[in-house]
Formats: sequence, C-alpha cells, structure tokens
Amino acid sequence: MNPHLHHAPEAPLPLWERGWGEGLQATARPSLQPSPARGERVHARLRQRLVKTALIVATVLALSPYSDAQTPPGTAPTPYRSGGGGGGISQERTYPLIDSGKWTGKRLRDGQPDVQGHWSNTIANHNNWTDPQGGIPGDPATRGRPAGPREERAISRVTDPADGQIPFQPWAKAAQEDFLAHFHNPTQPQYIEPLARCAPGGVPKSFIWHGYEIRQYPGLVVFLFNSGTRFVYLDGRPHLPANIKLWNADSRGRWEGNTLVVDVTNHNGKALFGRTGEFISENGHITERYVFSNDGKGYNYVATFDDPTVYTRPWTATIPARRWTADDKPNGWHFETRLAKHDGKERIVEREERICHENNGGFGNTAQPGG
Amino acid sequence: MKLPSLLALGATVFALMAGAAGAAAPVGKIPRLPNGKPDFSGIWETTSAADHGLEPHGGRRDAPPFAGIVDGGSIPYLPKALEQRRKNFEQREQADPRLKCYTLGVPRGVYYREPFQLLQRAEDLTQVFQFGHSVRTIATNGTQHPDNPNDWWLGDSRGRWDGDTLVVDVKHFNDETWLDRSGNFHSDALHVVERWRYLDANTIEYRATLEDPQVYSRPWSLSVLLHRHREANFQLVENYCYTLDYDAHYPPRPPK
Repeated sequence: MNPHLHHAPEAPLPLWERGWGEGLQATARPSLQPSPARGERVHARLRQRLVKTALIVATVLALSPYSDAQTPPGTAPTPYRSGGGGGGISQERTYPLIDSGKWTGKRLRDGQPDVQGHWSNTIANHNNWTDPQGGIPGDPATRGRPAGPREERAISRVTDPADGQIPFQPWAKAAQEDFLAHFHNPTQPQYIEPLARCAPGGVPKSFIWHGYEIRQYPGLVVFLFNSGTRFVYLDGRPHLPANIKLWNADSRGRWEGNTLVVDVTNHNGKALFGRTGEFISENGHITERYVFSNDGKGYNYVATFDDPTVYTRPWTATIPARRWTADDKPNGWHFETRLAKHDGKERIVEREERICHENNGGFGNTAQPGG
Repeated sequence: MKLPSLLALGATVFALMAGAAGAAAPVGKIPRLPNGKPDFSGIWETTSAADHGLEPHGGRRDAPPFAGIVDGGSIPYLPKALEQRRKNFEQREQADPRLKCYTLGVPRGVYYREPFQLLQRAEDLTQVFQFGHSVRTIATNGTQHPDNPNDWWLGDSRGRWDGDTLVVDVKHFNDETWLDRSGNFHSDALHVVERWRYLDANTIEYRATLEDPQVYSRPWSLSVLLHRHREANFQLVENYCYTLDYDAHYPPRPPK
C-alpha cells in the first residue's frame, strides 16, 4: 500500500499533507493494509500518522546544518555526518571530490570491490534537480524553506556545463518548464510526477530518492531502490535489443579500480529526474561512473547524459552518496531498515519489503489530475 | 486433550507434512557456495500449468486441462471459504490480482509463468520476480521472524538448511494475493513452509505446505519442478506492468 499520500496535489492540500513533501509521498512502504476497499477507514489513521511524520520532519529540518559550512559549495570536503537517526532530507551543502584510482578496500570472491550495504544521497531529494535544496519552484507553501541567496545552498547536480543547467534543446526546455508550471496543480495526466503513482524511480532519480541497498554477486551488481530494482551486469554480455525500453534501462558495467563504470541504454525516459521535470528520452545514452572512496564511507555518482533528441550537447551530473551501517539508527528516509531479531548480540540490519503499486493503477486512488 | 497439546499436535503434523518429501540425493554434481551449501543462483521457471488452477481440472476456454499439483487432489477449504473460492472463480477474469499486476505473493510467484531470479549469499537469498520486478529476501543467517511484523505482500521469510534442502518458514502476509487464476486464496493468517532442493544441477523440486486456520480445515501441500533458464545471455526483463495504464503520458515528446 502506499499510505503516503501520493502528493499529486489537488490544490490546496493541508499543510501537513503537503508537508515537506519528502516524507509524505508515494514511498514504497511496508504494506500495512489498505486494499482499495478499506481505503476510507484507513484514511483517518494515516492522517494521524502523517501529522506525526510532518512534525518529525519539521524538527529535523530545523536542526539541519544549512549554515555550518563556511566554504563555497562544492569546493571543500565535508565530513560525512554520522548516523544521528535524522530522517532529514536536506543534509550537506558540500561534498568531497573522490579521485578515480586504485581500490584498496575489501573485495568479494570474484574480485569486485565490496561495496555492499546501505546508501543514500547526502544533499537533498528530487524536489529540484538544479537547486537541490531550493524546494519546488512555484510551491504555494514555502514551509520555512531557506529564502536566502542561492549561494547558501548546495550547488546544482549539473556539474558540466559550468552554469549548472541542462543544455536542453528549446522544445525540451519548454516541456520541462510546462511540467513544472503545472506540477502544483496537475490538470493533465502528464503533469503528475510518475513516482506519485508508484512508478519506479528510474535512472538517475533513484539515487536522490530514498536510501537504497547494493547487493553484489559474481558478475552482477544489484540496486534495491525504494521504488524499483536495477541489475548491472559485469559479464560482458550485449545490451538488450534496442526496441526494448525500460524504466531502469539496461546496464552493462565494469570495475576500473575504485570506479564502477556503467553503460546505460534502453531507457524509456518515463521516470523523469524529479519534481522539476527534467528528463531524457528513449534515445538517451548515459555513461555512469560510481567513484568509491577507499574508506568505504562514500561514493560520488558522476554520469554523462547524451541524447540528440533532447540536449544540445552531453552534460554531466554529480550525486554524492554516503554509507549507512548497523551503527546508524534506522530512519524513515535515508536508512529504511530494521534490526533483525536473533539470539546473538550483533546488530544485523534488514531491509523491509518495498512494494508500492496496489493503489496506483491509472491515476491511483489519490494521484488525480486536478483542475 | 488440552488446547496446548492440541496445538502441539497440530504443529507436529504440520512439521511432518512440510518435511514429507523424500530426500533422495540429486543426480550428479550441484552448484555450491564456498560454505558448502547448495547454490540456487540462477533464473528459474516452471513448465507447469499450475497458475491456471492448482487443483485438477478439465480444459476450458481460459485454461488447458491439468492434473493439478495439490497433494491428494483438492484444497481442504472450510465451508465458508469454499463459497468464497466459488465466487472468486466466477469473477476470475476481473478479480484476479495479477490482472492489476499486484505482487503475486508466496507461493504463487514461484510457479507463475514468468521467470524469477535467485541470487544467493551465505546470509540470504534474494528472489527477484520478473512480474512486477518485486523483491523477496529469504534470510539464512539464523535470524527469526520479527516481533513487530507488518502484513507483507511476500511475507517474512526465514530459511534454514536441512541437509541440502533449504527450508523456509514464511508468515506475516497480507490477504491481497491469490494462489492461482482460479480464485484459490488465503487470509492474512497464511503460514507457508517451503522446501527447495536440487534434483539435478538444472532442476529444483519446490514444495510448499500451507496452513491457514481461517480458510483451510488442515494444512495441505503442493509441489512443482523449476527449470533453469540456460539460454545464452538470458536475463530478466523488468515487467513493471502496473505502470501500463499511465506510462504513455511520459516523457515529453518533441514536436513533429
């Protein structure tokens, strides 16, 4: 079930329901109950729960260290914040650069660097692609977002070109702006953000959605996202036939030292990049580099997007990520886990089932176009 | 007999049924993990028509004739549940949860006619179903069912090794899934014990014993064979079929 109300907002939602959005929308939650038939009576309980969630998120945001960093965004290393149990969405303003090079950490039996475990991005969620901590433009509820100068927030995820903007062709720029202009009052189905219907997060949005788990097997890296699952094959097999288009695309990778290099084709382009509506088409080609730090604590996702249908030239995105371990407290956004019950003393982290589709056929139960 | 003894007897009978399969050694060598346990990694699919209906049935427009996979032939429904099953059957062309692309659940996902992949580490098995691309984790690290469970689509799966047989105890289900296209069903009190074992390197015998005191009068078992996909470069192709109703709205298209 997806108790998390499907933000596709019919205007205007009560504050707690619009909340900071992040904790309150279509996250694949452990299924508590709701069949469509039971939806009504469950609703009241969910609302109570959501009010609580909103309060927690509010508290965490109030504590978030926006103004701690004294250096220009993106230029200086910032220590990974350890644990703390915060479910806050906006976290660090800056992130360390990680050089590609040798891997000196643990390895798996097939020789791969061992990067298994739980990860999440360190900056902000998918509210805004180019001003990650800036909220959703045009949001009628400002909800205490920082109103200060742009420089006080994390830099754009677009790290090339230098202006931080995606080099869209004019038609594509117009389409992105049209999506954003209607996001808060979607009058047509295409203005509903696909995640609100429990669609897979796809590439690259899954990396700025909730925390996720990486599991590795001989010749294979598997990403278990909050919404959707992605396989990266390392065995040199050819891509799927070009006419098969997928939410999580088709991924062929190889390790170069500390860097997982992945060639991504067969993208269906449907997931969009976030609530600001940036996108790639089904003709797109993405080359990803996951550059892992040898201390095992973080990695940077550096991906080049090429698409002659949508962009005027290839461009690059950077998304920093941090590891979560059994020493961290599970939380409802970045580290959605529980500790396993067992007879020993060791803290064993478990991922819960993430399934979010049963109320979201068509427009979903609540993801209705407005107007 | 006092209630606890009855429960104990019931549990014993259930355990015996769940373990009833003969444990003949597999033919030839089977894949193993470094820790010596059988390695079920691979992409698997049954050739059985079980998903059309677990019980024996003649041919009809929406199903081939089939001798069934239920031990003893039929599912021991309680009278009230049998009536629900009859209704489900009548409405199957609209009411089967698979038509909405709901996660199929356990055990249906195992004998549904789309491949699933098993990925295995010493501490767990990960089962990824092509249908819906949903993910089930079977813990094999000695952990137990949680004290504060939810109702999960795929239940909570705790495995242990009985020789070369993987025995999985699964409970804490929701009641949204069916067992097949014929309306066979369960409640959220469903408890499944699965036994997975190699017959040979490319064939798994899968047995499941189901108990559900709200629906069945006694535990019952089913069994199918699973075959390894050995086609060159065979892979799962994600099937997020629940997006089909709306996916045509994305992404924006260039002007013609």
